[in-house]
Amino acid sequence: MLFNSITFLFFFVVVVSAYYALPHRFRWILLLLASYFFYMSWKVEYGILLLISTTTVYFSAIQISKTQNTARRKAYLGASLLINLGILFTFKYFNFALGSLADTLRWLEFDYTSPTLELLLPIGISFYTFQALSYLLDVYKGDKEAERHFGIFAVFISYFPQLVAGPIERSSHLLPQFHEEKVFNYDAATSGLKLMAWGFFKKVVIADNVAVLVNQVYNQPTEYTGLPLIIATFGFAIQVYCDFSGYTDIARGNARVMGFDLMKNFNRPYSARSLSDFWRRWHISLSSWLNDYVYTPLVINKRNWGLMGVMFALIMTFFISGLWHGAAWTFVLWGILHGIGLAIEVLSKKKRKKFRKAIHPLIYGSVSLVVVFLFVNFTYIFFRANSIDDAFYIVSHLFTGLPAQLLPSNLNYMFNTGIVEVFAITKIELIIILSSIFLMESVQLLHEKKNMHVITAKMPAIARYFVYIIVIDFIVLFGKYGRQEFIYFQF
Amino acid sequence: MNTQKIMNNLLDIFKDVLDEDDIELTAQSTADDLDEWDSLTHIQLIVAIEKHFAIKFTTSEIHGFKNVGDMCNLILEKNH
Repeated sequence: MLFNSITFLFFFVVVVSAYYALPHRFRWILLLLASYFFYMSWKVEYGILLLISTTTVYFSAIQISKTQNTARRKAYLGASLLINLGILFTFKYFNFALGSLADTLRWLEFDYTSPTLELLLPIGISFYTFQALSYLLDVYKGDKEAERHFGIFAVFISYFPQLVAGPIERSSHLLPQFHEEKVFNYDAATSGLKLMAWGFFKKVVIADNVAVLVNQVYNQPTEYTGLPLIIATFGFAIQVYCDFSGYTDIARGNARVMGFDLMKNFNRPYSARSLSDFWRRWHISLSSWLNDYVYTPLVINKRNWGLMGVMFALIMTFFISGLWHGAAWTFVLWGILHGIGLAIEVLSKKKRKKFRKAIHPLIYGSVSLVVVFLFVNFTYIFFRANSIDDAFYIVSHLFTGLPAQLLPSNLNYMFNTGIVEVFAITKIELIIILSSIFLMESVQLLHEKKNMHVITAKMPAIARYFVYIIVIDFIVLFGKYGRQEFIYFQF
Repeated sequence: MNTQKIMNNLLDIFKDVLDEDDIELTAQSTADDLDEWDSLTHIQLIVAIEKHFAIKFTTSEIHGFKNVGDMCNLILEKNH
């Protein structure tokens, strides 16, 4: 059930109404049934996998918290990790692993065809597996008490607003909320609805419209050189941000209507002045997960390697991040590039500090912002390209023919008369995209100074409804509808 | 070894690792209080402290440091 569908609208209204109609002690049952229904609307079998993950983690967490015996605790942890990561590996990485092995063997002149599993990747599996494992690891470390109520624990793992594309929640933040009795709060509900509308705006008006342009170029990159490749890459930066942060807004708004708080996943990422800052602003729930459960243990363990240890931990962590995003070498390369970028940032720390003290802060800040943005966009080539070959083609042809393309007559063709031929979008659609991006940026900048929910709530009714109608009109009139799923569903 | 001596040593270590002469440390100081104390310098601090006091922290001990006071107490314990 996609968020941008009429079915979901009905589902949402029914579930929220039933939620507030029921007394607190029955609500977890409703949420559990609704979440499994939501999840199994993709495939019934997915529900079974979800249940297996839920039960194994629930059970092992309780066993771990019941004993002080280190060997037993390790055994339960190990078994649970094996089962859950094993499931993830089988459904997501089996074909990739064996296929890569086969490619290597063939390259070494061995005749080998790998077996493949005909398995569909269960949607959201990367998200809920990581969420469940963070709970397990927190219990093992002694940071969290094991949850005794199986039903509530099952809701924590399957909670439908965040099940398929995050945010990846921590048990210390979300689990207690299911125990609390939520009372209908008009302010929270309206704020939640506004957030959902905003998410829809970003997704269907901006992301899905830009997607047409991006897909046109990235699905047949060899038809292009130079400027279109550059434009499509920047376009993808906009698309992936609006798509994913839009989804997060819908998820958070959805949860807020029911009185739940889900963590922020994005914080104006493209305003980052350094790569480490970028990763504190992009997909925050995943970055902090990787930081807490992969990077920090690694860097502590290898601390006697000095800076080499830090490099190792960074590249390892981002290798895993790349792999998490997809079973393909393009994603792995994307991850490793970020790992290397961060490593360079660490190594150049002293030099950059000297530099910063020598120049005007405004100049240093702007240059940093541009450098980071350009680097992130460069890595997006690998993230979006359909194959390694495509990615290398694009990288090697980014500037081919650029000088000629920048001549006024050629620019006029590309963005005017020839725009449909080059980018498969019309001039009107381009204007809609650009003005929507401008609107989005203005609203988000304003929101940093003064909360948009508070501002709109304080407006006189006529002005408020005027704003709502504008936004809804944008969504209805300019939204691109079709089967363009949320990008992060494939992870 | 007493708390004051340890705090003095820690101050020197912090000044050295964070590359700042202008630091003030109290038992309540945390990474939020010092600009240069981030996840990178944190691990460099741990390594420098371990070297200086000739001790080894376990992962759960490092995990458990809430502020400079915690570090100090643990160093005192390990030096007995």
